[in-house]
Amino acid sequence: MHDMNPSVKFIVITASMLVIAFFFNPWTPLIFWLGIILLQLTMSRTKWKLWLLFMLPFSIGAFGYLWTTIVFGAETGGAIIWSFAGIDVTEEQWARALSLAFRVMAFSTLSLLFAFTTDPVRFIMSLMQQLKLPPKLAYGVMVGYQFLPVMKDEFTQIQQAQRLRGAETKKYSWQQLLSMRRILIPMLAGAVRKAERSAFAMEARGFTGEPRSAFYHPIQIDRTDWLMSGIFLILLLTSCIGGSWLG
Amino acid sequence: MLKSWKLKEAVLMSLFAVVFGIVYLLFVHVSNIWAAVIGPLAYEWMFGIWFIVSIICMYIIRKPGAAFLSETMAATIEVLIGNAVGPRLILSGVIQGLGAEAVFALTRYQHFNILVLMLAGIGSAVFSFVYGYFVSGYAALDPSFVALMFTIRVLSGAIIAGIGGKYIGDALLATGSLRGYAIARAKKGDVNA
Repeated sequence: MHDMNPSVKFIVITASMLVIAFFFNPWTPLIFWLGIILLQLTMSRTKWKLWLLFMLPFSIGAFGYLWTTIVFGAETGGAIIWSFAGIDVTEEQWARALSLAFRVMAFSTLSLLFAFTTDPVRFIMSLMQQLKLPPKLAYGVMVGYQFLPVMKDEFTQIQQAQRLRGAETKKYSWQQLLSMRRILIPMLAGAVRKAERSAFAMEARGFTGEPRSAFYHPIQIDRTDWLMSGIFLILLLTSCIGGSWLG
Repeated sequence: MLKSWKLKEAVLMSLFAVVFGIVYLLFVHVSNIWAAVIGPLAYEWMFGIWFIVSIICMYIIRKPGAAFLSETMAATIEVLIGNAVGPRLILSGVIQGLGAEAVFALTRYQHFNILVLMLAGIGSAVFSFVYGYFVSGYAALDPSFVALMFTIRVLSGAIIAGIGGKYIGDALLATGSLRGYAIARAKKGDVNA
């Protein structure tokens, strides 16, 4: 997984998500979800504690989907399985709700798989080399990415400066959210200046933004990519066919 | 598309994408907690926040592609930081950006008044809703509920992204750091402000 070409991985994952989105039975996303966890168990070096932590909000979100679909779902036929607080839940509604919930789980697992096994810099490099992303943009994103820690420092700096001058800190979290703009504007102004400076620096060092054919860190597509894409395809087919058959 | 772009504009856009990538991520978490309580409706009224970077970048840079590219990049940055929604997010970024870009393209990148900016926010809302209709399976929900979701999202796109985006752009212009970009030139010569 870690050695897979990031662009290929990105395309495979996005494509399988789009395919899964066309199925409304509960089995397809369920099979797919289990398959992905199996893949991740066997073929990656994942920190599972961190993974569980990331999955938590999604499980809650999936649960939210489950109950809103039951309550607000389109009226559909089928036998009533059980009723609760005056809401009759029909068989079809239950299947749909389960399907949506499993879909959320499958999608988030798939996304985590990508996030946990992909190095950001390699991803950008691969986007530029395999998918012909213009270098102007690719290196722009890299500059932005390198500035991340600087931005964090700046955030605390602005916050402290404002506190020093007596800007009161808000008590409630929603008020804090609103006062974000007081920090956002100076941060953006700083970003504008930094962008200008680094653009000058890049041009001064001879960066023209022209596409090139040779790279310092070439990233290739090799046998692993074909193999992994094949495995994904098999998993996708199994869940689609199995899901339609069971549903 | 990028031929007419100066390098400093491209880098500016990337940095904005970074800042808003963080902001977006923050709101993803906030709304996820919300969504657990009141279901998918929670996302709708905050949706405009996720369209804002394309409006701001277009308002400042005023070149074809600014809305589409900035939104895509912000989504990419979100993924790079380690967002759990993952690569699918880039796709929704692309679609939201296209929505805003379509509106600006219709005005031939000539007008950047509040109305056009609000329309761009609505454009993002409509595009993202159509995409969400398929991917998140809104088809399984009650049509009147879907209509409610759609209305709230369009309003959110117009108000938060359109008006909010213009507000931030103007505030930035007031700091004086935007000299040398199309927004400052337009104000000076008021060609099409």
